[in-house]
Parts: sequence; C-alpha cells; structure tokens
Amino acid sequence: MFDNIRWLIPSSDKTLPCGEENEIVVSSRIRVARNIESIPFELKMKQPDAEYLIGLIHSIIDGKIRGDFFDLKDLKPLERESLLECHLVSPGFTKKEKPTSVFINEGGNVSLMINEEDHLRFQGIGCGLNFSGLSSEVFRMDEFIGDNVDYAFSDRYGFITSCPTNIGTGMRASIFMHLPGLVFTNEVEKVLKGAMQIGMTVRGIYGEGSEIRGSLFQISNQHTIGFREGELLERITKLAKMIIDIENKARDVILTKARSEFEDKIFRSLAILKAARTIDSTEVLNLLSALRFGVGAGIVKDITLQTLNEIMVVSRPANIQLYFGELLEEHERDIKRAEYIRKRLGAG
Amino acid sequence: MLCDDCKNRPASIFFKEVLPDKTVELNLCEECASKRGLLGAKKLTPIEIMHKLLKQKSAQDEKVICPRCYMSLAEFKRVGRFGCAQCVATFDEHIRHFIKQIHQSDRHVGRKSQAGTKKGFEIYRLREDLKKALDNEAYEEAAKIRDKLKNYGIKDV
Repeated sequence: MFDNIRWLIPSSDKTLPCGEENEIVVSSRIRVARNIESIPFELKMKQPDAEYLIGLIHSIIDGKIRGDFFDLKDLKPLERESLLECHLVSPGFTKKEKPTSVFINEGGNVSLMINEEDHLRFQGIGCGLNFSGLSSEVFRMDEFIGDNVDYAFSDRYGFITSCPTNIGTGMRASIFMHLPGLVFTNEVEKVLKGAMQIGMTVRGIYGEGSEIRGSLFQISNQHTIGFREGELLERITKLAKMIIDIENKARDVILTKARSEFEDKIFRSLAILKAARTIDSTEVLNLLSALRFGVGAGIVKDITLQTLNEIMVVSRPANIQLYFGELLEEHERDIKRAEYIRKRLGAG
Repeated sequence: MLCDDCKNRPASIFFKEVLPDKTVELNLCEECASKRGLLGAKKLTPIEIMHKLLKQKSAQDEKVICPRCYMSLAEFKRVGRFGCAQCVATFDEHIRHFIKQIHQSDRHVGRKSQAGTKKGFEIYRLREDLKKALDNEAYEEAAKIRDKLKNYGIKDV
C-alpha cells in the first residue's frame, strides 16, 4: 500500500493497538534521551565519534530487535522530510551535519535516532491515549541498549542530557488532542492556560506561531527531574482526561444548540474531500477536523478514524510525492492530493 | 461588584488570605490586582528560565574547566549545553540551584541506569578488529577474534 514510504506501516498485529479516546486524542508520544558515558556530547563530538556511535548501536541491535536502520545521508531529501511528517524523527535531526542514523522497529511505531542533540533519542508514537503500552515498548528498547553500554548517569541528577532542560528521566511525553468543541466555544485558551499552570507546555500544531490549524494541540510535560516516569505519565493522562471531559461538554452544547449547522458543516467537509480536484494541506487539515468531529459524534458512520489518521499523514507534502513516486510542484501536489483523498474515501 | 481599590472598574479577581488573627478579603479589577503584585508574572517555561539564568556570569567561570572535554563554565553559560557526561560533576556546585530553578527539583527519583553486562563496546571493537584482520588477510588472527566473539554468544560473525 505504501511501497515508497517504507516506514509507513499499515496497522497490523505488529503495531501497538489503538489506545482509548482515540477520536479526541489523535496520538500519544514518548521521547527518551540517553547519552553514552565515554563519548563526548554533540557539541564536543568529532566526526569519528559520531561514526563510532552509529557502528556501535548497529552492532548491538544486529537483528536482535526487528526493524530497519536508515542512514540519513543515504536518503533522498524527500524521504528525510517524510520521516519527519511521519513523526519518526525530529525537525533538528534532518538538518544535522554529522552522520546520523535512525532505527525503526518492525511495527513502525518506535524509532531510535542516533546523533540527535543527545546520542540516543528513543521515540514511540501510538494512536489514542496509551502511555502504558507505549512506555513499555520504548523502555524495552532503552533497556536493551542500556544493558550493552554505559549510559551517562549521575545518582543525583539521573540521566545526563546535552541540554539541562531534559536532565533526569530524559523523558518527554506528549499528547496530540483534537479540540474543535473548545475552539468553537472559545474556551480553548482558558483550558490550555490552566494546563500551563500545572507544568505542561501547550502549543498548536501544524501552523506557525499562534495560528491554529485543524483544532490540533500538543500538550507535553515541562519538567523531567523530580518525578518518576510513571508519575509524569499519570499526570499527563489525568490532564488529558480532564480536557476530554470539558471538550465533550462543549460538543454537547454545540450539538444541542446548533445541530443542523454542525451537521451541515460536517457533510459539506466530506463532500469537498470526496469531490475536490485540487486541495492544499491546510484545507485538508481543517476539513478533516470537521469530519473527525462527525465520526466521533456518530454523525458520519461509514468512515473510520484509522482512515482519517492515514489521510492526515499521507496527504502531507513530502508523503504525497512519495506515495505517487514522483517529484511534484506545489500545484501538481494539490491535484494528486485531491486524487488520493477521493480514492481513499471511495469516491473514485 | 466594583473593585475595592479604584471603586471604578468591575472586580474580577477575588483574593482571600487567612492570617492567624484575621481573614483578608479583596475584590479587585485586573489592573489594581497587578499593581498590588497579586498577579503572578507570566509563567516562564524551563527553556526561558534557563536562558535567564545563563546570563548570570561570574569572573570565576573561565577557570572552572571540565577535565574530560575542556568545556569551561563560561562556555556552558554561552551555549546552554554540556560537552560530556563529566561536565555535570565538574559544574555541580554551580548548576545545582540552576537545575532546581528550571525544574523545581534537583533530585532524580526515576529509573536508574542498570548495571547490565555492558559488553556492547567490546563486541563492537572485536568486530572492527575482525574486519581489519580479514582486509589484511591475517586469517590466523581473524580466527582468534572469531572465537572471542563466539564466547560472547555471537554466532553470526
């Protein structure tokens, strides 16, 4: 199905099953930073150190964990961009000058970046609210590597990271939430400010600065030391559940007061996605948001969230080019994107 | 309800403090609450706090140098990144308050680095040696290295 997007693996028994609340919580992610005691960190590292580290991790994994290594220098610029769009690497990682490599497990949901800002950055992503499943997968890989090397660790400060803002657990957990109810009732700012007061970072995703696209928000923990990993995950899960409650209440209000208007908006969005001949990625995000709302409320019945998640990822600029296997100018991309979405929604 | 201070704008912030002998209640508008310093300043993110703290320089900074990677405390304050694992122990007394202000804690309570076998480095070195031996057609030496690798449980050498 995704022959050209090698790391995009359709869900199978090898991927983590979707967690709960998977309409409002689009995805959960965990990132864990680790460094090797005896190797200089990014700023003081030389080219041979970087090459040594890649060789070392290749030799340790060596088929014992199923998956694939990709050296970024061997990938086409479009493929590097695609890794980013699939959330398997970080934006900074694709721009590093030193040799970098990424290992992606066979489920396509846990990756290990080598020579990021920290020597190793494990990253797991799963749909819905599912930190327990995700953290066991991520820490299993972390423990496997940790069994073979000496991590930089201090009894007082925990895992030592390149930047002091990650020291301790080295762990950052985040949730991507779809909050059209709160955006519509203008409550979103209030709720997100509350989240910041209790030590969470909140930002709109897809879109620069304060511009919000697709009613999507990312919430993540600010502090990485002074809490156990499980406590941090519990706090963020608790907060997510609180926000889900408020979002559901806002949606109830919307659907009680203006059901016809919202049904109209949802079905018009579906109609555009099924009929458009050219469409840009921002419009897709906004239409998908309305459709997701419709699927969540049981108004749209014949489309699954899994299909919407796939469209959200595949319709991104680099992925859509890889999907069709050709380099496309912006306007050609918009035409091909519309074609892919029509096909995916069964509109031919 | 009007603001207790200016008696002009509507009160939107309700402040209550219970003291041992009395309870103080104030109903204020945002402007007057801010004048009294009752509104916390905008909450800074850890990165913003870090950059603020890094600006506090001292004459000693150039003299505190990590013996392993030669990063000085002054350099650390310029770049906000450690140069190696040893930097943390070297700068410990200078960064303790700093970590605490960023994270509201300076004590790790999470997972520990496990003892493990730590054989990864040795296996990798042997593999590299094996490649060199084979390149140089030193087959006797290669056989010895292969045996060592087999002792580590590596079958496919």
